Amino acid sequence: MAEALLEIRDLHVWYKVYGGMLKVLNGVNFTVGFGERVGLVGETGCGKTTTMKAVLRILPRPARIPQGEILVHGRNVLQMNSQELADLRGHGLSMIFQDPTAALNPVFTIGQQLYEVIRYSAGSPAGRIKDKRAVALHALQEARLPDAERMLASYPVQLSGGMRQRSCIAFAIATARDLLIADEPTTNLDVTIQDQVLRLIKELVTQKGTSMILITHSLGLAREVTDRVYVMYAGNMIEMAATPELFANPLHPYTQGLLASVPRLTGGGFAEGIPGRIPDYKNPPAGCRFHPRCPRAFAPCREAMPPYFASGDGHLVACYLYDNKRRRVPQNG
Amino acid sequence: MAATPTSAQPRAESAWARRLDSLNKSWYKFSRNRLSIVGLVMVAIIVALAILAPYVTPYPQHAGKYVNFKAKNLPPGSEHLLGTDVFGRDILTRVVFAFGNALLMALGVLAVSVPIGTLTGLAAGYYVGTWVETVIMRITDVFISIPPLILALCVAAVLKPTLTNSMMAVTVSWWPWYTRLTFSLASSLRNEYYVQAAELAGAGRLHILFREILPNCASSIFTKMALDVGWVILVGSALSFVGLGEQPPKPALGTMVADGISRMPDQWWIAVFPALAIMVIVLGFNLFGDGIRDMLAPEEM
Amino acid sequence: MASGNSTDNQILVAEKLVKHFPINRSGIFRRKWVVVKAVDGIDFTVRQGECLGLVGESGSGKSTTAYTVVGSYPPTSGSLSFKGQNIARPAVARPLHLKKDIQIVFQDPGSSLNPRRSVGDILAMPLAVHRMVPRGQTPTKRIIELLDMVELPASYRFKYPATIGGGERQMVAIARALATGPSFIVLDEPTSALDVSVQGKIINMLLRLQREFHLTYLFITHDLSLMRNVATRIAIMYLGKIAEIAPATDFFEKPLHPYTQMLLSAIPVLSIAEEALKPKKIHSVGEIPSPVDVPPGCSFNTRCPFKTEICFREDPLMRSFGPDHLARCHNI
Repeated sequence: MAEALLEIRDLHVWYKVYGGMLKVLNGVNFTVGFGERVGLVGETGCGKTTTMKAVLRILPRPARIPQGEILVHGRNVLQMNSQELADLRGHGLSMIFQDPTAALNPVFTIGQQLYEVIRYSAGSPAGRIKDKRAVALHALQEARLPDAERMLASYPVQLSGGMRQRSCIAFAIATARDLLIADEPTTNLDVTIQDQVLRLIKELVTQKGTSMILITHSLGLAREVTDRVYVMYAGNMIEMAATPELFANPLHPYTQGLLASVPRLTGGGFAEGIPGRIPDYKNPPAGCRFHPRCPRAFAPCREAMPPYFASGDGHLVACYLYDNKRRRVPQNG
Repeated sequence: MAATPTSAQPRAESAWARRLDSLNKSWYKFSRNRLSIVGLVMVAIIVALAILAPYVTPYPQHAGKYVNFKAKNLPPGSEHLLGTDVFGRDILTRVVFAFGNALLMALGVLAVSVPIGTLTGLAAGYYVGTWVETVIMRITDVFISIPPLILALCVAAVLKPTLTNSMMAVTVSWWPWYTRLTFSLASSLRNEYYVQAAELAGAGRLHILFREILPNCASSIFTKMALDVGWVILVGSALSFVGLGEQPPKPALGTMVADGISRMPDQWWIAVFPALAIMVIVLGFNLFGDGIRDMLAPEEM
Repeated sequence: MASGNSTDNQILVAEKLVKHFPINRSGIFRRKWVVVKAVDGIDFTVRQGECLGLVGESGSGKSTTAYTVVGSYPPTSGSLSFKGQNIARPAVARPLHLKKDIQIVFQDPGSSLNPRRSVGDILAMPLAVHRMVPRGQTPTKRIIELLDMVELPASYRFKYPATIGGGERQMVAIARALATGPSFIVLDEPTSALDVSVQGKIINMLLRLQREFHLTYLFITHDLSLMRNVATRIAIMYLGKIAEIAPATDFFEKPLHPYTQMLLSAIPVLSIAEEALKPKKIHSVGEIPSPVDVPPGCSFNTRCPFKTEICFREDPLMRSFGPDHLARCHNI
């Protein structure tokens, strides 16, 4: 099934800590096709950053991967050695991080950092990099940075937050061919700049045919920029659908709760949110990890993690409420 | 009403249970690194030996005035495990007693320099940008520039060359490092939101310095103290090597090394074993200090 | 200025409030000072019992305004009065009873609570400072009361901030603000650092506490959807000046200032109904100028899609366009 660019199958990730193991990822399944824009939505602590770090093999030391596969172009990333990984990273997997100030080295100019990135991307379309400067300028211009010549000589501290993030995007553009992972790329930016940056990412991704994974906790953002959305809770992907479908027809109680919690421009006050907290990963609940907080939990939810049930075209939900083989339980069951 | 946390362990509310749990957690953090445990064991042995020296050494009387020229310069053997020196004194015994002197010196120096350094650093850090900081830090700069050895020599030239005077000299050159450390911590901590919150609520200066800022500096300070024990002992040995510090016949590691140097390489044991002892102490405290640093590191939020 | 309402219930009044920060940019051979015009002349009032929302992007001056009100620094010029008393000076110079009365909840609960102190200690501090507990007695009873007000169990007083969740930390910060029994609370982005599922609970709690204790709020956020459901009146700031100030419904249904329209059109929303409510999309172009380098004339002229010739010459004055609805623009 070499159709997909990235395929994560049944990934488990545990962290060893004081008092036991944090069983963060509990069988994650995630697919990104070529040229697709996929959103990964979830709240703090659901495991989205852990998943992406696992793909790039940059998990911290206490992490263990007892089970699962991550396939990029059909090859398992978890079994690659460092040379193969370097090739993979150089050949077109790149990431934009949440805080551009932390992602840029303050003692080097943008130009120096960009040259480094270009140099390490072995086998880039430019062949042997004869003219790094031209490639760098081109990347900066594509990122809509004004006065690209001056940018090359600027230090990150001289730039505003929006410009720093766009520099990071320029680094990513200079190398990304297959996949761009954007981890909360606009969280720290102002709304109007956010708008500009997102439009830029969207355009570039469409133009170059690069696939994109947008990780965010902001549902509104996911709705604007992606074709398909995964909703993640406590280490599992609990729902996946095409973007318009997910927002028009959310099925999983968690997704519904999340959408209900977002304040609306039309007014109407605040829902109470979702009661309870995310589970203790040292001792997670048996069965569906959301069932202790779920207003519609019933018997099977406590026994085993629900598999994906299909509802409509390409809409998957991991919830027993949608198991057509079982007797449907009345709403207040 | 918030639902109770899902599947959390029920927390015992008694104060003892809480303290026990926090001790367990501290031990866990300390023991992540195997070498820290090695350091802990070494430090424990050193301290135990120092305290129990008169009871565990084979020839306790050799630590004082004792001469026995018949037994002089014996190589390591069954009667004297580490050999004897020019006066026929058992080297093993003298090394163990010297531990005690070394630790005492370290304790004395730190007991004075840490409080002085921390208090001045706190004040300078909180009042960063004002004359208070300028005055304190420039004075600190002056003291930092004085090398401990030279100062000790001067002190010895003016006063008598005793252990107490050497300790004073080392203390005077030691406290500025704590000032520098605390200053850099306090000056960045004073801008934290919780300090602002306390100021805006009207808390007094003393409360802010000692209840808000100092607890957050404590971990770095304690770590440095653990490492410093080894360093002070090293400096102390250097001083006694040149004749300052503990005067003969009381045993001091540096003095023993000095005595043995002229007899190298024939009677190598007279210099080598005390030197090894210095190395063991410094290494032990360094490894222990690493463990302390891991243990006191703040929790990830 | 203040419309039909009587001036009796104005609890906070700011007139021509200015806060500039001089920064030394001298080089080795050249002396140079630049001035950051964080707040450059604003007038506003807050009425008893209402929630005034302050909205803006980086460099707008909303945080500086809040911190000046609370007393982190004194204003450079202009007047600021609270319940008739002058508070145009830093908190250290204010009488103790005023410090009790005005409190603040910070944005990031991770750094507004001292990680080395337990929740109980954190709550005990303001009680001790303001002598709210008789000497010799431990304030435990009052601490449990405060925790109860924010719906946290009494056992939380032994916990350290690192072991409780972000939403709960913010609840502790709110309890700390309430400890002295204030009548005015400044809330600096209280839910920005929190997840959406917790946000609703905190906001509902804040609104309930407002009703229960007759509090007045100055609420700062950049999230306009949030503002829609919290504030009774909203002021939007740009580069140190208030661009528009209006009651909540008017602000969202009839935004007058181009910047307000630009901001409203840029926010991501979730439903078609909300899309319909947004003004027509105005794409922002260019960077937000720095408050060090404010352009002459109307400060918005570098990005305004409706600018005309007068916008480069003259700084517009605040004019009234309806009951309680004011805006600063030549072209409305």
